[in-house]
Amino acid sequence: MTDPAQVKLELADMIAAASDGVVSAADVLAARHPLSALGLTSLARIRLIDTIEDSFGVNLDLDEDLSSFEHVDALAARLAGLLAAQ
Amino acid sequence: MTPATVAFRGARAGEAPLTWGQRLMWRAVHLMGPSQSFLNCPWVLPVYGRPDLAAVLDGLRALIERHESLRTTFADAPGGPVQRVARDGELTVPLVDAGAERPLAAAERLAGELGRAVFAHEREWPLHATIVTRDGRPAALALAFTHLAVDYQALALLSADWRRLLRGERLAPPPWQPMDQAGLEQTEPFQARSARAIRYWRSVLADVPLEVFDHPPGEPEDPRFIEVGMESVALAVAATRLAQRWTISTTSVLLAACATELATVSDRPRAVMQLVHSNRRDPRTQAMVGTVGQDGLFVLDLPGTDFAATCQAAHRAALTAYRNAHYDPAAMTAMRQEIGLLRGREPDLDAFVNDRRDGAGWAALPALAPGADLAPLTSQTRTYVTNAWPGVRFKVFFTVGTAPGTGQLSLIIDTAYLSRDQAVSMLLDIEAMLVRGAAG
Repeated sequence: MTDPAQVKLELADMIAAASDGVVSAADVLAARHPLSALGLTSLARIRLIDTIEDSFGVNLDLDEDLSSFEHVDALAARLAGLLAAQ
Repeated sequence: MTPATVAFRGARAGEAPLTWGQRLMWRAVHLMGPSQSFLNCPWVLPVYGRPDLAAVLDGLRALIERHESLRTTFADAPGGPVQRVARDGELTVPLVDAGAERPLAAAERLAGELGRAVFAHEREWPLHATIVTRDGRPAALALAFTHLAVDYQALALLSADWRRLLRGERLAPPPWQPMDQAGLEQTEPFQARSARAIRYWRSVLADVPLEVFDHPPGEPEDPRFIEVGMESVALAVAATRLAQRWTISTTSVLLAACATELATVSDRPRAVMQLVHSNRRDPRTQAMVGTVGQDGLFVLDLPGTDFAATCQAAHRAALTAYRNAHYDPAAMTAMRQEIGLLRGREPDLDAFVNDRRDGAGWAALPALAPGADLAPLTSQTRTYVTNAWPGVRFKVFFTVGTAPGTGQLSLIIDTAYLSRDQAVSMLLDIEAMLVRGAAG
């Protein structure tokens, strides 16, 4: 079983790493602004998707709603759904 | 003057398959034949401080030793093309006196001249270098690289290294080199990513129109391919404003405008363009000197509502394009040939966009009051016709240039399909679209 709180922390670190330090894990977890507004670029987002896929062994579909990539909670929920379906 | 010689000895030698980025360039240089010098990368490294010739040659030696890409030759082998990294070798470097010319101007001119030579990839080093001197002292290094060895981000890395090396710093070799990348690309996750990207391209190619334009080719100009450029502060300011308004990148805004213009000129509701993409999203490749870029496939269905919706759609389309821009070019070629058999021929994807700026914006735009009318700025805009390339086969190729203080947008066209007047109007339409959007 994957602990949701732990997944969220891991995602926050991944987002910070993907952003090249532009966005901090603390800002991600505070979730006061969408990730775009915090400065997460398109390329950082693709890097993040690669990292999530490689780390969790899931396949993220970009055709779905992109808004789940704007907040760590939504992203964690989506990831939890994918992990549960495995 | 007698040429100098740089003798180098790096940490390792080896042979590996080509990386995906190299494979793409390998195919491109062969397709382009004698016109392949279009793909060369001229570059100038200024000589900072007042080092003597020995120090400058030593800096160049260190650069070549650090980056395996700069001591690599490329060859066809029975199992497919390979990169061969040499541990040691010598590079001959001519010395040229700048004379009355400014040394940097002379270096730029010489780099351009070096860039016109076709590289013999199997037996030549992937760079040609000339040292420009002034009053007997080295003042600048004029270079041309084959695109098999570098892309624009690699050149930026070399410039940063150069500055440090001339200051006397000792730099350890970067841990990740093209041979390592080639190994990684053979692994399962990368093969799976490649397969997914190819499925996406296939879904687009299955029903994209076979031609970029529906109208038949007319009588082309001679030379057939020309580049029309525009420098517009208004374009840059407007794109910046729109990007901030919608929290998307200026690249997405420019893509939306270029794609809208292409759709309008081709009278279609959908624009399909290849997106030249630096592809350095894997952290390991970020400090690697090599050619990593591969093209993405950008598909924009015009929402038909307003420019805001178009920009949001372009933002999403760009993400999809980037995501599917990392693939094995050999598998891609096979898929495209298969589509060609199914549809009678391969669709023509000769419409491109390349944003050469490495960050998201322009660093030195004039400060304007928020909400200030941008229309008057357009009176400063100038357009011009630049290089004509005899052998490029693009129908439409937009490039966003790197000048920090103005929006540089250029457009290479095939004059069999578009006139130079049309090309100029397309650039001005794009400027007008952005200025109008920013005002709205």
